[in-house]
Parts: sequence; C-alpha cells; structure tokens
Amino acid sequence: MNELLAFIVRNSKWFVFVLLATASCVLLFRGDPYRQHIFTTSAGAMASGVYKGANELTSYFNLHEINEDLNRRNAELQAELSAARERLQLLDEAAFTDTLVADSGLRPFEFVVAHVINNSISRPFNYITVNKGSRDGIRPELGVIDRNGVVGIVSNVGPGSSRVISLLNPHFRLSCKLKSTDYFGSLVWDGLAPDEALLEELPRHTNFAPGDTVVTSGYSAVFPAGLPVGVVMENESDRNQNFFTLRVRLLADFTTLGNVQVVINNRAEELRALTAGEENDSRRNPFGN
Amino acid sequence: MAKFALRYALAFIVLLPAQGVVFNHMTLFSVAVPLVFLWLLVSVPVTVGTNLTMLLGFLTGLGVDIFCDTPGVNALSCTVVSFAHKPLFHLYSSFDDDLGGRSPSSASMGAPAFVKFLLTTVALYCVLMFTIEAFQMFNFRMWILRVTSSTIYTFIMLYAADCLRPRRE
Repeated sequence: MNELLAFIVRNSKWFVFVLLATASCVLLFRGDPYRQHIFTTSAGAMASGVYKGANELTSYFNLHEINEDLNRRNAELQAELSAARERLQLLDEAAFTDTLVADSGLRPFEFVVAHVINNSISRPFNYITVNKGSRDGIRPELGVIDRNGVVGIVSNVGPGSSRVISLLNPHFRLSCKLKSTDYFGSLVWDGLAPDEALLEELPRHTNFAPGDTVVTSGYSAVFPAGLPVGVVMENESDRNQNFFTLRVRLLADFTTLGNVQVVINNRAEELRALTAGEENDSRRNPFGN
Repeated sequence: MAKFALRYALAFIVLLPAQGVVFNHMTLFSVAVPLVFLWLLVSVPVTVGTNLTMLLGFLTGLGVDIFCDTPGVNALSCTVVSFAHKPLFHLYSSFDDDLGGRSPSSASMGAPAFVKFLLTTVALYCVLMFTIEAFQMFNFRMWILRVTSSTIYTFIMLYAADCLRPRRE
C-alpha cells in the first residue's frame, strides 16, 4: 500500500496531467453547440457581465458609421414603403372587385432588437453574444438578422444574454435560394474569409449570374422567406458535377455588427409539430401491414 | 511566493477579460490573434511545482475558453504547455538554475535565453491550439497562416510587455 502511494506521489504530475487533459477533452468533444452548458459559454453570467460593461464603454465610438447606415437604410425603406403603398392600393382595388383578402407573409414573425456585446470572426467556429436573454423572450433556435442580412441562430440562452452561432461557423447551415430563379441550396461558411460563404447543392440546371441575390428560402421555422443573405460571386465547382457550389459575398458585415434583431416565429412550434408528424409517418409502414 | 501569488491573481483577473474584450479584436488580416494571456503561463517561476503550474494553466485556459467560446481548446493547450514549462525553460538555461524563484523574463534569464524560451512556448501553444481547432475543420493554408502569424504577433506583444517591465524584480 505504501509502495502504491509512493508510486502515485512520485508520478503525481502524470496523473494530474491526465486528469486535467481528460477534463479538457470532455469539454472539447462535447461538440453540439446547443448542448453546452450556459456557464461555459460567453452568455454565462461572468463573461457576459464583462462584455456588457466593455460594450457600454465602447458603443459610442462607432455611432457615426451606425448613423450613416441607418440613414441609408431609412432611404431604402422609404422607397420600399412608397412601392408597398402602391401595391396595397392595387390589392385594395382587387379586393374590392374580387373580394380578395390581402395577407402579409411577415405577420407570424416578431422581431426583438438586441445589441452585440461580443463577436468573433477569426476563429474556425465563430460565435456572437447579444445582450438579450430568456427574460426578453429569447429561446434557442431563433434566427438573428441585422439591417443588411442574416447573422446567425441562437444556441444558448441565459437570463440576460444569449449566445448566437454566427453564419461564420460551419455548424450552421442555412437554406437559401437564388432570388431570381427560386432554385435553393444550402449556405455554409468554409472558414476562409469573414465576408464570403458557399452556397452548395444547387441543381446543375440552375441559371445564375455573378451579382444575383441570395435570399433565405423560408423552408425552416427560423427565418422568413426572402431575407437577403448575399450576392453570388462565382462558381466554385466543376460544371460536370451534379450540383453547383457558388461562392457568395455575404451582405451582413460581421466586422462591424452592432444592433441585430432576433426573429421570433410564432408558428415555429406548429411547424415543428407538423414536421415531427411527418417523420413519424415516414417510419410507419404506409400500407398498414 | 506570496508576492508572486498576488501578482498572478491580479494578472489573471485583468488579462482574461482583456483577452476577450480587447486582444481578440486586435486581429491582423482576420488571421493573426495576439494571445497575450500566455504571459500567465510564461511568468510562472520554475520553482513552482509542476502540479500547481498545470492547475494554473488549466484554469487560465478554461477562463479563456469561457470568454472565447472555444470549450476545451485553450484548456487543453494551456495544460500541455504548463506541463512542458519546466523542460522548455531548461532547454535554454542550465538544469540547476531556478532563477532564485523569480519569473522567467529577460531581466532574470538574460535577453537571448528569454527570447528563445518565449518564442518556443508561444510557438508550441499556437501549434497545439490551432491544431486542436483544425481537428474539426482542417485547411492547411489557414492552419499554417494562423500558427505562424499568431506566434509572431503574440511573441512581439509579450516581448514588448517584458521590455516595459521595471528591471528590478
């Protein structure tokens, strides 16, 4: 027994090393970003407190750029508003003649404004921390957008802050389509540049041109259809392959993220229940034998 | 020892949030990151036991992981570098030299030996950390860019900080 104790003491540094390395590996290989404990993420009380404090100090420095962006966005919205008014007038006329009911596609969605308090762009797996949490109605798997386009998806939620899986994170795949043709594919970041991503699995017969806009497809309960994501730069894949892979310039500027909006889909649960029902049906024998 | 413990605790409280809030955003070309918290690993005197050095390294890495959303990556890298702290130190100084319990620095070791020790420690850390990250998404060009540029950037920052320290220990 004494010899055993002496052996352990003599080699204690190896035991401690293995113990600490094992603890690190447990953290490391718990790969699913949704399953990580809130205290080990930047949305935990300690880290988010530091980030919030620092953000309050520094948020004044880029007000000029934010103001310019808001002015530009305001001008765009004014143009959209006048176009929408014209369209509404036409719909009113149609409703008057055909008893057609005009409906807004965005009505099921609500938007919660949040501020980015931490953001990374240089790592292979990037995350964003925002200053809104469960107290503000935020929950996991909600979409996050900014004034230019899609930013990410909420993964972990604390009481007053949340962690968002950035679009610059290969864990996040976004269903997108080309605005001009409606052909859809899957957008994923390839880790090379913080302003570019790949739109994969586009059918080979898709027609596209550099400069085409890529928007969300709306095939998930997370983002409404038609939100801008990026602009096609070039074809990355061989034309002989069955699917195209396009390089896309992202519209959201991840280096200057400030205010973002968390998208709350009021019909998400209903859609998920339907999808779950479909999965259960597909497991059953369709002939009932 | 008490003086070191106090100084280390203070540096721990200051450097970890500073890494998350300031230095992580001082990237060059979206590739090179200054890992200034490595001072916490480099500055541990070699007279401190290996077990305590590793524990301090693990806690440092865990703290950085919480601030950087890299669970386990920095904790594992810091543990390994802390384990290698004493052997790395003795690569560039005689085996019976323990600096009288002082932290390794250019003042205590001499500039040439400290430069080599610092560069080796930073390079080992960068190779480890970026390799662990690359397990999940490997791109050789980005890996080599990140390792070399972050090593140089971190080395310059830490050596500059060491040069600014008062000579008297």
